[in-house]
Amino acid sequence: MQEVTSLAKMVNIDKNFRAVQALKKVNLEIRQGEILGLLGDNGAGKSTLIKILAGVFPPDRGEIFFEDERVNFSSPKDARARGIETVHQALSLVDVMSISRNFFLGREPTKKIGPIYLLDRKKMDGECERAVTGLGVRVRSPNEFVSILSGGERQAISIGRAMHFKVKLLILDEPLTALSVRETKEVLRQVEKARELGVSVIFITHNVYHVYPVAERFVMLDKGIKIGEVYKKDASPEDIIEIIATGKMPQALTS
Amino acid sequence: MKEIANDIGIENRKQTLSFSQIRRWPEFGVILAFLILFTFFSIFSSKFLTLRNFTGILTIVSELGIMAIGVAFLMIAGEFDLSVSSVYAFSGFLFVTLANKYNSPLAFVITLAIAAFIGFCNGVITLRAHIPSFIATLGMMLLLRGSLLAVTGGESVSYSSDTIMPAMLTRFIGHGFRPSHIWFLLLTLIFSIILTNTRYGNWVFATGGKKEVARAMGVNVNKVKVTNFMLSALMASLSGCIVISRFKLANASFGTGMELEAIASAVIGGTFLTGGYGTIIGVFFGAFLMGMMRTGLVMIGAPAYWYQAFVGAILIIAATINLKLRRLEM
Repeated sequence: MQEVTSLAKMVNIDKNFRAVQALKKVNLEIRQGEILGLLGDNGAGKSTLIKILAGVFPPDRGEIFFEDERVNFSSPKDARARGIETVHQALSLVDVMSISRNFFLGREPTKKIGPIYLLDRKKMDGECERAVTGLGVRVRSPNEFVSILSGGERQAISIGRAMHFKVKLLILDEPLTALSVRETKEVLRQVEKARELGVSVIFITHNVYHVYPVAERFVMLDKGIKIGEVYKKDASPEDIIEIIATGKMPQALTS
Repeated sequence: MKEIANDIGIENRKQTLSFSQIRRWPEFGVILAFLILFTFFSIFSSKFLTLRNFTGILTIVSELGIMAIGVAFLMIAGEFDLSVSSVYAFSGFLFVTLANKYNSPLAFVITLAIAAFIGFCNGVITLRAHIPSFIATLGMMLLLRGSLLAVTGGESVSYSSDTIMPAMLTRFIGHGFRPSHIWFLLLTLIFSIILTNTRYGNWVFATGGKKEVARAMGVNVNKVKVTNFMLSALMASLSGCIVISRFKLANASFGTGMELEAIASAVIGGTFLTGGYGTIIGVFFGAFLMGMMRTGLVMIGAPAYWYQAFVGAILIIAATINLKLRRLEM
């Protein structure tokens, strides 16, 4: 843990949903320009943890630091303003809206005409078309509806959108679920490209084989508790599965 | 369909002008229906295609249409407002009462402010109590109408105040045209621009399309919904003031059932009942279609009762066609 700069740090995070304790004293650190795999079975608390980081809801106890500064996000908007963006397969794009309207949702460029501000549709379509083409998604026009796109194309556009708006921390929530082999490769290529550009990535999945090729470090959660943290060089995918299955770190890996 | 889309690619999309592009124009269906009925009535009634009849239709259409724009704008954000007809009657009554006591501009402003507050209540009740807006506004509709009937005892009140607001709203301005026609056109234009060409419009679409996504992208969806509830009530109130300025008489039973006509106009105009999609120009023609049918049917000699039957049939056809078009497009 020496000589590395931390981008975001979550310290002793507790979160309860009525009687259920979803997170118990969880610590998580994400460093500058790394890909972190966040693993765990369904209901382990992965999504709750990153939702707290993304400002969807506040923690009951615990502190969050971003770029060495204590932060309290009261909405996803706050987190986005700091450069934290979540890409979630079902929650990133509106089906019945055009690609360019989705691309700029919440950050629409405007131009002033007289006393009123109108959408800069030309800029929206132009920038969106360039960005989308750069991602290798071939669409007839940025005015096409998102509903005609495949899962992979949606994922590509969501990630591309985050990159376009200079994201610092990209949170990918189960990004490969229901994707074809080719699309999976394409998304992983984009994740690596993001890292090369200096973006930190939290990659959430319950399938270690999805994230093992790209991540350097892995954090495992189970029933709201952080059960382990390993570097890629210290553990094989099978070791990680073992940790998740048994709920504890093997002696050989604890240092 | 999708394969073709991918093969064409971005570079040469400009060459693919065809039926598919016209079809993707969301107002296409309603304008086509409008033209067919217009032609039909013009052929079968000699009095239909006259300026006098046109302005007569426009008067009814303006009053329904202004309400329908508000209803549709809210519907696109994913919520219903059934209370508009009661807000309409209530506003008319309030406007007349206040105008008789003070003066009409003051009465107009207070009426609109109270209507906006009713819309605000609709929004807050829907969002805080987590009940569907259909139920919340149905309750508000009955509550307002019932109170109005109880307080007035069914008696009408006639307007006996200055002519400032009536002149600005409905007094003839030549050739049978009225200011309400201009207001309707202007409001259609304004709301259309807001919806398609402002940031707020984009948020309205997103809120109705999928509110979780809109929220995740930083849109304050509750604020959008409450604002639209208020706009819906405001438009209904304006419509109520217009109709009362024209009749010079307010009655508690005015506008009963009009909320369904407004929703029908919106749906015929291509607005999705599920939210997230619709156009104000479509609503304009939807309302026009309704008004045209009302007078057109009488003119070709059909008993007035047939109007409802026709509206029902057209509503079903329009909803079916809209769904089919959506399938083709998406």
